[in-house]
Amino acid sequence: MTAPRRAAAAALGAAAALAAAGLPAADSGRILFGQSAAFSGPARELGEGMRLGLEAAFQEANAGGGVHGRRLELHTLDDAYEPEAAVLNTRRLIEEDRVFALIGAVGTPTARAAVPVAAAAGVPYLAPFTGAGFLRDPAQAQVINLRASYAQEAETIVERLTRDLEVRRIGLVHQDDSFGRAGYQSVRRALQRRQLQLAGLGVYARNTTAVKTALLDLRHGDPEAVIVIGAYKPAAALIRLARHIGFRPVFATISFTGSRALVRELGSDGAGVYVTQVVPPPTDERLPVADAYRRALAARRPDARPDFVSFEGYLAGRLAAAALERCGPEPARACLTGGLRRAGDLDLGGFALRYSADDNQGSDAVFLTVIGPDGRYRLIDRFGGALRP
Amino acid sequence: MTDWLRRLLQSRFHISSQIYLGLGAAVAFTIAASAIGFVSFDQVGGVQRRVNEDVVPALAAAFQLANQSSVMADDAPLLMAAPTPQALDEVARRVARDRRDFAAQLAELTELAGRGGVSLPAEVRAGGAALTANLEQIERMVRQGFVLAAKRREMRAELFRLHEWLTAALVPALDDQLFYTMTGYREPGAPPDPRARHATPEAFDHYRHLAGIRDGTTIGQQVLATVFTLNDQALLEPLRERFEAASHGIRRHLRALPPTPLNERLTPLVSRLIGLGNREGGAFDLRFRELELKASETELLEENHQLAAELVAATTGLVDAAQARAAAATRASAEAIRTGQNLLIVLIVASTIGAVLIGWLYVGRVLVSRLGRLAARMHDMARGDLEGEVEVQGRDEVADMAAALEVFRRHALEVQRLNLVEKLADELKGKNEELEGALKSLEQAQDQVVMQEKLAALGELTAGVAHEIKNPLNFIKNFSESSQELLEEMREEIAKERDPAAAAADDETPEERRELIDELGADLVGNLEKIHAHGERANRVVQSMLQMGRGDAERQPTDLNQLLDEHTRLAFHSARATDTDFTLDIQQELDPEIGEIEVIPNDLGRVFLNLVTNACYATDEKRRRLAEAGGEAAAAYTPTLTLTTRNHPDHVEVCVRDNGSGIPAELKEKIFNPFFTTKPTDKGTGLGLALSSDIVREHGGSIRVESEPDAFTEMIISLPRAAAGG
Repeated sequence: MTAPRRAAAAALGAAAALAAAGLPAADSGRILFGQSAAFSGPARELGEGMRLGLEAAFQEANAGGGVHGRRLELHTLDDAYEPEAAVLNTRRLIEEDRVFALIGAVGTPTARAAVPVAAAAGVPYLAPFTGAGFLRDPAQAQVINLRASYAQEAETIVERLTRDLEVRRIGLVHQDDSFGRAGYQSVRRALQRRQLQLAGLGVYARNTTAVKTALLDLRHGDPEAVIVIGAYKPAAALIRLARHIGFRPVFATISFTGSRALVRELGSDGAGVYVTQVVPPPTDERLPVADAYRRALAARRPDARPDFVSFEGYLAGRLAAAALERCGPEPARACLTGGLRRAGDLDLGGFALRYSADDNQGSDAVFLTVIGPDGRYRLIDRFGGALRP
Repeated sequence: MTDWLRRLLQSRFHISSQIYLGLGAAVAFTIAASAIGFVSFDQVGGVQRRVNEDVVPALAAAFQLANQSSVMADDAPLLMAAPTPQALDEVARRVARDRRDFAAQLAELTELAGRGGVSLPAEVRAGGAALTANLEQIERMVRQGFVLAAKRREMRAELFRLHEWLTAALVPALDDQLFYTMTGYREPGAPPDPRARHATPEAFDHYRHLAGIRDGTTIGQQVLATVFTLNDQALLEPLRERFEAASHGIRRHLRALPPTPLNERLTPLVSRLIGLGNREGGAFDLRFRELELKASETELLEENHQLAAELVAATTGLVDAAQARAAAATRASAEAIRTGQNLLIVLIVASTIGAVLIGWLYVGRVLVSRLGRLAARMHDMARGDLEGEVEVQGRDEVADMAAALEVFRRHALEVQRLNLVEKLADELKGKNEELEGALKSLEQAQDQVVMQEKLAALGELTAGVAHEIKNPLNFIKNFSESSQELLEEMREEIAKERDPAAAAADDETPEERRELIDELGADLVGNLEKIHAHGERANRVVQSMLQMGRGDAERQPTDLNQLLDEHTRLAFHSARATDTDFTLDIQQELDPEIGEIEVIPNDLGRVFLNLVTNACYATDEKRRRLAEAGGEAAAAYTPTLTLTTRNHPDHVEVCVRDNGSGIPAELKEKIFNPFFTTKPTDKGTGLGLALSSDIVREHGGSIRVESEPDAFTEMIISLPRAAAGG
């Protein structure tokens, strides 16, 4: 074989590969979504909860005949909350599985790594389980957020601490990564608005529970209240250890911590810990979407208990289905994101969303909960002094 | 001998023998031509065979070899570019095939070289071998590179695993140790140790050594990670230096740690980390070998380029040589073909000439022409030409026939002579009569034609003549009536003279009466003179008409102006008589200097008549045409005839000009031809101008025409003063 013929053969091979990379992301029978999330490591319960909720929502939609006759399917890959793995997974989902859109990713550093990959491929990135500010940049054309931002959660916590409990000394423990730093920035801004300084700051390495050094640093500032920005395992370790050594500030944490896992890890030490939520309580009897969620969850996995994370996953699934419904029988990727941004108001069974050209975040709602002595979350509208030691 | 030859020459030479001889000669030529053709084809075939069996395979083989060497020149980059061992296997198979192909081609060429078909330079063989060896070496290196790279990947994975394990062990340990040192808490749930137990120099040392191990391992990991991506061989040693320092530090801190379960966990991890760098075949070794290999590959590739270029140059030379050989063979072949062609052409020409010569000399000239001459002679004789002897040539059957014909001719000649004289006389007589008859009818026809023309002219004149005669007749009638009255009056007066009674009734005197009678007589005489004059005039008209009809042809001094005037009026009145609408404004510019000229007045009168009649016709035609078209042009048009005579020293000129329809340029030449006319068939004979031209020429003059269509026509007659010609 001569050199030109070899080159021709190589070119032919390349052309074949290119043809295979064509995009039937939404083929006739189904619409495939991809999820890269943590299904192992200290944040695994977040990934699993999101997956469960998504699957419940998809199963519910498919049971009703799908969206315009197409089945919604979910393909998941484990990134163990590691950015490198998230990049590889996202690439694989787009290039090999040829998903129509990505949905329900978990974590800020992972999203930060994966979003550029998705954006470069023009693949929608729906409802990530993070409140990081950079995802709320309206220029992020491929990103659609469901939930309120960390800044909003932090602002709510600081507002309630200073107003309801009249706390002035607020400390912070955060994970040493972009998630933690985002939380740090949010809290600092909220404090600055009230002419307050951080009273104690502790930092721990992500994906470890080595929080003792952080606790020592935190205690140095002698805070009345401590906001924890971290995964449920180190957060629980920190709170338990603090209580163990007799250090008893008010602990408050944000949605990402993973409410149910936190309660389980804390056990009896959990009572009185405030947690902000970005979705309504899944057990709310009066909310139609919560009702639908519980039924869908029961249908999907009868032994599963409702919780905030899988509820958020369910809402993400419902959001995807509603967006696809609007795009008609031949959905295009651009319609999924652009359509939502143009759609304006969207009501998911009582959970109101609003998008616009310069707002890619649907909900601004932050819900206050507190862990009761029975280890259950209670929805509250203000921080009560009764639980203060 | 001469006797025998003479006998042979004199013996009979049959026609069959002659034809056979001719055909034999032609066949001989053809055979010769075919033989030459055969020989030349054979020669061309030989050359072609040499080309086919020797030169073409050599050229093809050289081409193949050149092709194969350029393929092999591309092999090295392909080998080096193989991304995986599998791809390398694939490429290596192809390269091996290329090498085999090259070897096969070389063997074929060697065999051809053995047969002398081509020369095989030593550098081709040597270059092929060198390139092959080089390719094998490159392939080995690339394979080795894959092995090393696989090892590197493995070590890197181990490095990451070690990093995770070390982090998992060291970070909580440090965290715990710090917390214990600061607070005294060790076990969750357990009460804290007293300060004297936990805030000790040993506890701080413990923390310091743990931190030392963490720092050392971090440096070690980073150095190794750098080594794996390092491309500059020279930087390996400084990195090794740093790694060894870090390893030493780790081991020192590890030895200083109290024996705890953590210590047992850390020791193997640390050993593995240090071993990853330092051991035989460790990261440094591996990377060193990889970089060495890369350098060798680069060298080999350069060498490959060199070898490939040399080989390609050598094989290209081979191809050039083979091409030159092929070109030479082709030239030789073409030469042979051209030689054969030339020979064949010469032969074809020769045989054609030969065949023609045989046909012409033997068959045509000697045989057919003799037979032809004989046959022609027979034909002549059959027609009655018996003059001249029949030639007897040769010694064959034709000669016999000729001799027999000669005898026949002599007999026939005798018989013919007897009849010939009588027959000739008869024929001559008949011919004479025929000729006379023809002449007579020709003369009659000529007379008839001229007569017709004269009659036609006469006919045209009738009306004019009638007018010319009617005028004097009117005068005669009027004067004769007046004379009658005068006579009656005279008779009364005379009666009164005779009868006084009657006179008495009257009051006049006899003198007066006689005076009156004298007056009446004088008037009568005047009247009678006038009647005579007008009678004379009528007579002249009739006379001239008669002359015209008679064709009197005597020259006499004639007043041309008067002749022109008379005939103009004749023509005008003739035209006027046939058509009352006809008008013509006649202008005369007659030169009185002309005087009398010797002409035949009759003939020239006919000429004038003819010209004026034509002018009348032309103007009338134009008038009618304009009237039909209508408009101002018709109103503005006045048919005008201008008659001009001019006197010159030796000749006179008569111009008849009308402003009628004119003559188209293309017809100007034809108008003097006999029987040419543009008038309807009942209005003209076509002879008028032809005869006019003849008449003027007879007077030694000339007639010409000037005309412009739709503007004017001027006929100009020039007559010599002195009578000339006949």
